[in-house]
Amino acid sequence: MKTIPLALLLAAAALAARAADAPRPCCAPATPAQPTAPCCAEEKPAAPLATRSLYQLDATWTNDAAKPVSLVSLRGHPVILAMFFASCEYACPVIVNDIKRLQAQLPAAARERTQVVLVTFDVARDTPAGLRAFRERMSLDGQWTLLRGEESSVQELAMLLGVKFKQDGRGQFAHSNIITVLNPEGEIAHQQAGLNGDVSETARVLSGLAKVTAVAAK
Amino acid sequence: MPALVRIAATTALLALLPLAGQETPSAARVVGPGVPAGMVTIPAGSYAPLLRTSDEPERVAVAAFWLDARPVTNAEFLEFVRAHPQWRRSQVSPLFADQGYLGDWAGDLELGARAAADAPVVRISWFAVRAFAKAAGKRLPTTAEWERAAAAGFTRADGASEPGFNAWVLGGLARPTPEVLPAAGSGRPNFFGARDLHGLVWEWVQDFNTAMTTGESRADSGLERNLFCGAGAASARDVRDYAGFMRGGLRSSLRASYVVPNLGFRCARSLPSASSANSFQ
Repeated sequence: MKTIPLALLLAAAALAARAADAPRPCCAPATPAQPTAPCCAEEKPAAPLATRSLYQLDATWTNDAAKPVSLVSLRGHPVILAMFFASCEYACPVIVNDIKRLQAQLPAAARERTQVVLVTFDVARDTPAGLRAFRERMSLDGQWTLLRGEESSVQELAMLLGVKFKQDGRGQFAHSNIITVLNPEGEIAHQQAGLNGDVSETARVLSGLAKVTAVAAK
Repeated sequence: MPALVRIAATTALLALLPLAGQETPSAARVVGPGVPAGMVTIPAGSYAPLLRTSDEPERVAVAAFWLDARPVTNAEFLEFVRAHPQWRRSQVSPLFADQGYLGDWAGDLELGARAAADAPVVRISWFAVRAFAKAAGKRLPTTAEWERAAAAGFTRADGASEPGFNAWVLGGLARPTPEVLPAAGSGRPNFFGARDLHGLVWEWVQDFNTAMTTGESRADSGLERNLFCGAGAASARDVRDYAGFMRGGLRSSLRASYVVPNLGFRCARSLPSASSANSFQ
């Protein structure tokens, strides 16, 4: 299906881009304060992807630093994934807040291993600059990746996550509020629907995944 | 190829011409070298969503487009999986198609008795039909496009005003799906020349996931603000449009990897863009 060599090439390009961006040198020794950078895990020869891995998608995304990113670059880490749009008046700030509450419930080690990815529905307005402004407005640190993509990629990802969305006449999007947890292979491990919910079950799943990946990384 | 461009541009212009008052078959059925084989032109018009929120417009404009005259058949889908092995039954990723994908076929490359070559292909996921459309240089119709085409009766663009048409559509819903589906395209052509939009199989649309009625079926009776951002009260346009409710209900219950025994598809194409029409001047 998706040619894995191509996916890997894209991943490599994305990794190079991430590395250029990273606040610290890629593959600096991990310390409690600075966990291993995501890119390090990818420098080992990669095993074939799991059959239900979302990382089979061959779409290339653009982050808020205008750098290309492939989702497979997140491989090896538990991931919190949600879809949003930056000019959202109601739910999206709540989703961000829910994810922050979720992070706060994680043990420190799990919190550090877990990456957060937000993908925008609003391909027209959420340019890298728009995403950057959202990052600043919501005070999102380096663990958060903000992505935009082609309309067809957004639709495909939404389909895989079971997220419904629709643009209304004013340019706002009606959309499902779903927080998805991906395991280190990129498979859906858990989904939480709704806002302001109890995040403890999602936190429990993430902590479990983080433990497994921490062992694997040793 | 100036000549081809000219033909395409002329076709596009013809199709885009605003049709005054009642649409007539001669104006609607734009045929000619510009229309791809097996497709019909659905002229620019509008679609009245069955369910809409108070701030959504009553009618949505739909640009002219080309639509397959009939659903895609088993034989056509077989050609596709021959050329694209990753979409064969034994090789498809479970991410992109649930168990039962192409389940009526006898094998990976064998149709068998339950899947006639000329019958519409069913038990195919959204991901699979999207790949088929892409390989054919086409795309799936949007909900608005599909509904625009299917709102036509046999003799009028507005089927709702055609005597007996709604009853005929409902009659199709009342019939159970036969064990072996009949040939695609054997139905009577509608006003635009498209066949079997009603009465044969349900059809995938590109944006079926815009149909939002409930967050999850156990929990609610209507649109819930905590599940859907921006959801307001939705009201129905025409409560007699039972078939429309059925289609909306089906779409809102689907996920893109689902395979359904009576859900098929047909493809669409955009007309050459307005800019290419302008270059003709």
